[in-house]
Amino acid sequence: MILLVDMDAFFASVEQAHHPHLRGRPVIVCGDPSRRGVVTAASYEARPFGVRAGMPLGEARRLCPKAEYVEGNPEKYVALSVKLLDLYLRYSPDVEPFSVDEAFVGLQRGTTMEHAVEIAREIQSAIEATFSLGASIGVGPNKLIAKMASGVKKPRGLTALDEESFRGVFWPEEVQSLWGVGPRLATRMRSLGIQTVGDLAHAPVHALKGAFGIIGPQLIEAAWGRDDTPLTPCHRPPDPKSMGHEVTLSEDSEDVAFLEGTLLRLSDQVTRRLRTEGYAGRVVAVKLRNRYFVTVIRQRALSSHTQEARRVFEVARELWRANWSGGPLRLIGVTVSDLEAAPDAGQIELFEGNRRDDRLNRALDRVRDKLGDSSIVPAGSLAHRRELGHVPFGVRPNPFSKNRSSGA
Amino acid sequence: MFESLNDPVDVLSAFVEGRIEPIRFRWQGRIVRVTRVTGRWTRREGQSRLQYFALEDSSQGTYELFYDPRGPRWVLSRAWVAGSGG
Repeated sequence: MILLVDMDAFFASVEQAHHPHLRGRPVIVCGDPSRRGVVTAASYEARPFGVRAGMPLGEARRLCPKAEYVEGNPEKYVALSVKLLDLYLRYSPDVEPFSVDEAFVGLQRGTTMEHAVEIAREIQSAIEATFSLGASIGVGPNKLIAKMASGVKKPRGLTALDEESFRGVFWPEEVQSLWGVGPRLATRMRSLGIQTVGDLAHAPVHALKGAFGIIGPQLIEAAWGRDDTPLTPCHRPPDPKSMGHEVTLSEDSEDVAFLEGTLLRLSDQVTRRLRTEGYAGRVVAVKLRNRYFVTVIRQRALSSHTQEARRVFEVARELWRANWSGGPLRLIGVTVSDLEAAPDAGQIELFEGNRRDDRLNRALDRVRDKLGDSSIVPAGSLAHRRELGHVPFGVRPNPFSKNRSSGA
Repeated sequence: MFESLNDPVDVLSAFVEGRIEPIRFRWQGRIVRVTRVTGRWTRREGQSRLQYFALEDSSQGTYELFYDPRGPRWVLSRAWVAGSGG
């Protein structure tokens, strides 16, 4: 079963939720209300006056003079859209955003229509309770039916259709009401005598193929409520392509020992992140920027993937030595790319004979997980941090702490 | 009518269960006491994440404030005050 969650008058509803004095009143979301523009969104209270998205503001003011005009805030709506997707993920890992205010939620194979309706009701209640917003949900055996069902009753509607009931509801409707049929396609269909969704369902396949090519037979299938389009969950963060750390030095420096210590600490930080997030990388890059903002990036591939600071540092140091002209540096960075998932570092390092290093890294990680990233640092980077009198990485030490003498 | 602003304001806030809860703020010489946070969202600006709050006061005025960690500072970005028209 698939759900399609469609937020009701999303932009306007968000403004009404955030500004309670607007609730129950006609609200029109637009650009700058003091300038010419168009309606971006209208609340349900404004729609009976004939106000629609895309309408010029002047016309909207004539139709609905008592409306409250609110300048839209796209970042706010997108941020809320992401929070809604997180809410859907509580019910299923298969969430596919369709637009800023719509998303498909795929339920487990074998879920009955009754259970899907229960879940849809829970989602509606959760949206109301968490965000003070309304949503209409369509329930169906495929994306097409779920999408079209969501528009049957609004606002705060919940419509569940199987293929048979889909046909009962939509076959009498104009052919343009079928998802995927726009005005121009509908005009061409009407010229062929196809007025309704039911007409399309019974149109000869060869005629549709001749008129519309490969999509002809697909449209007929859709008119029967059949759709095998897969749900593509994409509300997941993409796998990272690289991980890196860089630091702009508090003072430009050409101190070899200091720069080497900084590279060591950066390598340590990058590999800790790799281990924490379960990746290993094979290409090490170093970034050097001088006081004139001239930036050099050089990289080299290792023979195998690694999560080890020592291996990354050795390559980073070679690259730095080979490409640094000796002048003061302003910024230095280390990046590891060509990542692959590596949940068990032991597997990676086993054949490199570095089991001891692996155990050491994991022990260090456990200490840092408990006491913070700056609780243990490579010795080569420690002296320079003290000289600078600040902490370029990790938490700033509390000068009033009783443990000050323990240093890093 | 909403007023779009960019006024720095002084805010008294609490940190409760990892969240910022604005309590009151001073704007145009008067103290606005927050009765309810009606919405929260964030916006990225460069490497910083600004935290936005929609707030309601006891006289049905509503506001949008944001906290900018780079200052750090609080800014009143929008206000609708009851009786201001619109």
